[in-house]
Amino acid sequence: MRKTAKYGTVLFILVLVILMGMISGCAKKEVKPLNFALSGNPDTLDPQKTSGTLTFQTVKSIYDTLAEPDENGVIVPALAESWDVSADSLTWTFHLKKGVKFHNGDAFTSADVKATVERMLAEETGSPHNKEFGIISSMDTPDELTIVFKLSSPQASFLASMASGWSAILPKSLIGNGHDFDSLPVGTGPFKLEEWVRDSKVVLTKNDDYWMKGLPKLDKIILNIIPEASIQVQGLIAGQIDIVFIIDSDDIPMLDSSPDVRLEENLTSLIMVMPMNTSVAPLDDLRVRQAINYAIDKQKILDIAYGGGEPIGTFMDRGNAYYKDFTDLYPYNPEKAKQLLKEAGVGDDVELKLYLPQNYALHVKAGEMYQEMLTQVGLNVKIQLIDWSTWISDVYRASKFDLTVIGHTGKLDPNGTLRGYGEGKYVQWMNADAASLIKEAAVTSKYEDRKALYDQALEIMAKEVPFVYLGSSYRTTGLRTDVSGFRITPNLDTFDFRWSEFK
Amino acid sequence: MEFFLFILRRFLRLLLTIFIISTIIFFVIRVIPGDPALVVAGIDALDEDIQAIRVRLGTDVPVSVQYGRWLADIVRFDFGESMISGASVNKLIMERFPLTLALAILGIVLGIVVAIPLGVLSAVHRWSFWDYFGMVYSQMGMAIPSFWLGMILLLVFAVKIPLFPLFGSDSLKNLILPAIALGFARAAVILRLTRAAMVEELSREYIITARAKGLTDRMIRYKHALRNAMIAVVTVTGIQFGYMLGGAIIVEQVFSLPGLGRLFLYAIYQRDFPLIQGGVVFIAVIFSLVNFAVDILYSLLNPKIRIS
Repeated sequence: MRKTAKYGTVLFILVLVILMGMISGCAKKEVKPLNFALSGNPDTLDPQKTSGTLTFQTVKSIYDTLAEPDENGVIVPALAESWDVSADSLTWTFHLKKGVKFHNGDAFTSADVKATVERMLAEETGSPHNKEFGIISSMDTPDELTIVFKLSSPQASFLASMASGWSAILPKSLIGNGHDFDSLPVGTGPFKLEEWVRDSKVVLTKNDDYWMKGLPKLDKIILNIIPEASIQVQGLIAGQIDIVFIIDSDDIPMLDSSPDVRLEENLTSLIMVMPMNTSVAPLDDLRVRQAINYAIDKQKILDIAYGGGEPIGTFMDRGNAYYKDFTDLYPYNPEKAKQLLKEAGVGDDVELKLYLPQNYALHVKAGEMYQEMLTQVGLNVKIQLIDWSTWISDVYRASKFDLTVIGHTGKLDPNGTLRGYGEGKYVQWMNADAASLIKEAAVTSKYEDRKALYDQALEIMAKEVPFVYLGSSYRTTGLRTDVSGFRITPNLDTFDFRWSEFK
Repeated sequence: MEFFLFILRRFLRLLLTIFIISTIIFFVIRVIPGDPALVVAGIDALDEDIQAIRVRLGTDVPVSVQYGRWLADIVRFDFGESMISGASVNKLIMERFPLTLALAILGIVLGIVVAIPLGVLSAVHRWSFWDYFGMVYSQMGMAIPSFWLGMILLLVFAVKIPLFPLFGSDSLKNLILPAIALGFARAAVILRLTRAAMVEELSREYIITARAKGLTDRMIRYKHALRNAMIAVVTVTGIQFGYMLGGAIIVEQVFSLPGLGRLFLYAIYQRDFPLIQGGVVFIAVIFSLVNFAVDILYSLLNPKIRIS
């Protein structure tokens, strides 16, 4: 008995010593990493197997694409130095940069591009973007630095596809041996993956061989996965976090008073809308949809629910080159709304169900305001909260809804934004003219011609209002004052740390 | 021999429980709305792409076939791969379990250290300061949500007085505040029970006998009454421990900890079928093991309770 007690004491002291050691930690002097607050865990780090924004935001630093959008959203060369398009728009020749290296030391060649696209097209990859590349009928690699794509039909958005995050170039040698790209990405990007502790952090270290001279400037980035927005903000004030991507409007006054924090406001490429199911009564009646548009004070919802923004009158983000202004069509006018509802014979005996995705607090807040404003003009709107999976399968795919609230993310090419409308995409709005204009624009490559087609399509959408077009919101990013050069890729909303540094 | 039979019976019952639970969960998650292929595909994907994703995930075949495959795999302890991340479910669970277990143990230890002495004091000195203190504490403990408590702890001890880190999971220091947030309410439950059990034991006839025998108050309280009272306390503590594994979800969210709770929470959000199934089976096994441990403890506390 006494003996065990003795051992117990020894064990106890041992444990205590170990714990003390763990608590005090070993404080090694190291390079100062940039601490970024990431709001969730990326599903996977394989760019070909997901559509998750967090994945693309993370792998943007690890991978490169042949082309990429610059600060103004113009598509510029990246891994490709230049490209030529044949007169019929069917042959695309990319001339690749020389001397680029993958993180594993492999030299980057046209064979890697070919193997990457082949992987994307392979049935077993099951990529959400497979069909986008299905127009590629053949690929030739005449030499190590040239790749030629032959398309089966002209596609104006082909270059935009090549500049999107899912077109990241993977090394051929690893594709061949079944490498675990889900958790161990290997690219040509400015940073290499050092460690990914799921739901905790992603650690990236500088790629010394990066092909852009003098970049990246940082030695290390830690993407800290912090789901609670208030903890992100506290971390920013305390200096444990250097950048918070999205600051909730409620937190802005507190951060404004912090001398070490700088706030940057940008217009997002989001299209904030309240979609209406045009196949169900009474929303199949244009007058009712118009009434609902008149009933909504759009700027007020933008300001209060989304922290400010600029109104749009049609289905295109405000900053887009293809945006056309139709905001005058349905100004806020509750009296006109009541009158139109009276004409249509719709009162509060008709219950409209407003489905809100509960994981998006801002859409829920906006939804409550929509409900309030619609009640003011005599409509009976009932809110139902649903989770994101249910929203995608029931609301978006099966059109089982009357009203809902969502923000559509921007796209590098307007075809990605407009494809499918006019022919039954989730709002069930049928319009042969709009559908054929959108289809024609998809195969038209000259900007002026495309713009003319989209102008017409957007005008029809603006007049027929299958949505309440609210606006594009502002996004407030919080940064420590000593951080500079943090860029957000336009339209893709990915993080670009290449120019980031501490002053 | 008797003990061996007991273990065997327990084990068989565990297998049956797992089979029933996993079957129920298998069908429930497929009946509710939501489709993992749509989560992977996102809202811009085309129908053909979604079908290809279903093929990759194995959800293109009838549910009965999927069920057969799942059963064939789990008898080999293979829970498959996550549909969202592609990583093995076993690996994902084992990566997370140590943290949640450490959190639950720390939480329950903190709970016991506070609750049992306070509960005994309250029962022995009824209507004293300690008793009132215990009563107020247990009311508060049960009323305060761990989410709120966690936020307050962070604001006070990580922001105002920066003794602890705001986020991260690298050291034991990261676990102290979450363990307090988690253990606070549990302690309240254990405290109430300890007090009630002690009060009951102290009013029993054998206590009078013991007193008549001339035993000291100390002996009566701590050797006789407390020991008997502990039987009920151990049961409740065991159950509380099981709940801690579940209650960890909220605390892990507040403290940005990569534990099991968050893993399973997001698995449910994303309809990651294999991960939900694996998680439910795992939690069921842990619950059963805790119950089993409680049974063993019973027989140690009171040899009259035979293992049978």
